[in-house]
Amino acid sequence: MARFLTDLDASLHFHQGLIVLTDRRLLHVEPAQAEDLSFRSWRLADIEDLVIDELGAVAELHLFQGGTQSHLWRVTSGRVREADGFLAKFKELQRAHRHEVLHGHPLGSTTPKKVEDDDPFASDEVATTSPPGSPLWRLMKFCSQWHKLMALGFSLAMLSTWSGLIAPWLTGDLVDNVLIPLQSATERVHVKHVYQFALYLAGAAVLTWMLKWATTYVVSRLAERCASHMRRSTFEHLQKLSLTYFNKKRTGDLISRIGGDTDHISLFISVNFIDFLVDVLTIIFTAVIMFTVNPLLAFAALGPLPIVGWLVQWVRGVLRGGFAAASRAWSAMNSVLSDTIPGVRVVKAFAQEQREIERFRQTDKHIFDTNDRVNRTWSFFEPTINFLSDVGLLVVWAVGAWCVAHDKAKVGDLTMFVLYVMKFYGRLDSMSRFMASSQRAAASAHRIFEILDVKPDMPITDGTLTVSRLRGEIEFKDVKFRHGSRQIIKGISLKIEPGEMIGLVGPSGAGKTTLVNLACRFFDVSEGAILVDGIDLRELNVMDYRRNLGLVLQEPYLFYGTIAENIAYGKPDATRAEIIAAARAARAHDFIMKQPDAYDSLVGERGGQLSGGERQRISIARALLINPALLILDEATSSVDTETEREIQAALDHLVKGRTTIAIAHRLGTLRRANRLIVVEDGKITETGTHDGLLAHSGTYARLHQAMIEVTHATATPL
Amino acid sequence: MSLDLQTNAAGQLVLITADGTRYENVRPARIFPLTDADHWIALQDATGRELACIEDPSALQDSQRAALQTALTKRAFVPVIQSIERITRAADGYIWHVITDRGPTTFHVETDEAVQTLGSGRLVIIDDHNTRYLIPNATALDPDSKRRMERYY
Repeated sequence: MARFLTDLDASLHFHQGLIVLTDRRLLHVEPAQAEDLSFRSWRLADIEDLVIDELGAVAELHLFQGGTQSHLWRVTSGRVREADGFLAKFKELQRAHRHEVLHGHPLGSTTPKKVEDDDPFASDEVATTSPPGSPLWRLMKFCSQWHKLMALGFSLAMLSTWSGLIAPWLTGDLVDNVLIPLQSATERVHVKHVYQFALYLAGAAVLTWMLKWATTYVVSRLAERCASHMRRSTFEHLQKLSLTYFNKKRTGDLISRIGGDTDHISLFISVNFIDFLVDVLTIIFTAVIMFTVNPLLAFAALGPLPIVGWLVQWVRGVLRGGFAAASRAWSAMNSVLSDTIPGVRVVKAFAQEQREIERFRQTDKHIFDTNDRVNRTWSFFEPTINFLSDVGLLVVWAVGAWCVAHDKAKVGDLTMFVLYVMKFYGRLDSMSRFMASSQRAAASAHRIFEILDVKPDMPITDGTLTVSRLRGEIEFKDVKFRHGSRQIIKGISLKIEPGEMIGLVGPSGAGKTTLVNLACRFFDVSEGAILVDGIDLRELNVMDYRRNLGLVLQEPYLFYGTIAENIAYGKPDATRAEIIAAARAARAHDFIMKQPDAYDSLVGERGGQLSGGERQRISIARALLINPALLILDEATSSVDTETEREIQAALDHLVKGRTTIAIAHRLGTLRRANRLIVVEDGKITETGTHDGLLAHSGTYARLHQAMIEVTHATATPL
Repeated sequence: MSLDLQTNAAGQLVLITADGTRYENVRPARIFPLTDADHWIALQDATGRELACIEDPSALQDSQRAALQTALTKRAFVPVIQSIERITRAADGYIWHVITDRGPTTFHVETDEAVQTLGSGRLVIIDDHNTRYLIPNATALDPDSKRRMERYY
């Protein structure tokens, strides 16, 4: 009927076990020694109760029998949610069972016979990463949508490489057919030949120049396209991720990934990748030419090649780790910056400049250290390649001289060879540089794909039901919400009529903001449902739903832009008349007109020169302009003084009129217009009623009210 | 027309509202001074209290509009930059040499942030003394001006 996987044993070691619920029994199977399975079973009728007890990261499932605990299972908190489901099934079955015992017939015939057909031992955790593969390979696939540009770039690179090899070839001919005959003066060489060679050489140079130009441009364009596409899709993807993701992530790290890492990749494609392509082609072409002209010489010239190959392989591993560490260090520095610069007031107020400088110095030192590590390997690698190429050249000279002496090769061939070998090892040298950049790009690509691989845990396309204007009825139906191992909302049922104003009151951490976040559908409920106008929130199109939603937060966030733009944020096509009307209703018009550029004044990242109350009123105007059916006020007045609160209150009264409102407030005065006050404590509703009713009840609300009066009193009377 | 605008002997703007109340020394203020200077003009008293708001001055009678215009031009000073002669580096910022609709001038700005975009190519430059200089459409500037500006903005 149901089954549940346990994953810990009595001593809290990881150990899998399976509890199966049948219609008569509860069975427990766990692997004992080797192949054996230990097996226990209880008759359902004997079981008194099954209780789950959460202890932080571990939860215990108790089995009570005849008044005592007869068995205990331990699971990690990740499995608690399933345990809840299992328990629900158990209770249901037990109820049906007792009914049968009492009345002699089964309770209805509707006992759900849904059988989960998935493998019980399969992990149900959705993998957050798709098979990663090599980041560079994925990068290739990512860019493959510009295959035409890629093909063009590749053919241009091939042509330019080929044309670059013409010159040494001609030089060989020049030596054999012109220079040597000239010097030995054995035969007359027509001066026409010299001109001809000069012309050919010049032609090859011009051709190479033009082809290289075209290649560089085409490939740079490709790189910029890729990088821009990458930045865009990463940002688009970020916008789709839920708040949970952003709560976990550091802003600076994300900025550094989208900004810095994409830039590494762009540089890699535009500069290094094309170089690499040319290098490989050059090496292949020169090798082929050398072998066709003189196999012996070619063999000698390419002697040190295996050593180079081995060296490359070794350095690659070292660099890869080094660059990943460098990128992380860079992110850490960005995080410090994005932490300290916005928080500069706190830093100064607590006179912690020196400490922040120290913090920055440390992260910067970390960057220095990781880069230094890379450079150490690096500085050894490049000269080594140079040395090997010198050795290769030496061998060519020696073998070449021997060949010429024994008449096995011509001087022109040798000249040509020396030029090719120089080109060959020069290419090896630049290829070694490619190693560094490719490893850096791989590390960067990995960091980008890490973001792209995060599956939105709150997919916004799942709701298919489109709605236009909601009436504003909202109902919480036995809502539970679990975050990690913590059960934050423990079963809340509440129905709010259209146009009703609800005040949520309670101590900090009681789950008020979580409840509101659930109503905004920033998160999905773990159990139960939220119905809006009778429709399950999960069936609604999120975008449609949120268009009906006005949100005023404790800390109003204004974007960089003019005041008018900020007011029209939720409705960019609002007319100027609408903007002014919203600002007037929010009591913002007068102070806006006092700004240097009135509605065209720019407000900065966090609202710049405006005071907290002014920013709040702009955010109220912003909420007013979209004319929401559902309004959520999360501590909208708690960050301002009483005088400003009165102004905001007047603005809010305008806003609340005729809308379903859920307001959270510590200042109970904000809630004087509320139809009902709901006291939330520890994830549950403990009291419901009007202000007077709750005071008379002398429960939590009365206590909160008393505390507030005392605080007001204390601050009012000077000591 | 529900309200009337006049100029009194002292050259001040006078507003007579629909109910016949007469306000002397009325100050007009643009609500969108940079993005829509020709519409949406608020009329305030000396303390800044708003008395009336005119959405479209062109709907006013000629004499009223003239009175409003005179009062506005006296208060609003936003030169429109027509071309940029040169921008030079100073010790602490840049000096812009420009030709505006009010004649040639130079002004000093401290940071890059003094140049602000207002959408659709509209730029405003705020100098050290909080004077606003408007470029209604940066793409419509002559190529030389654009090139000179490009290096700093």
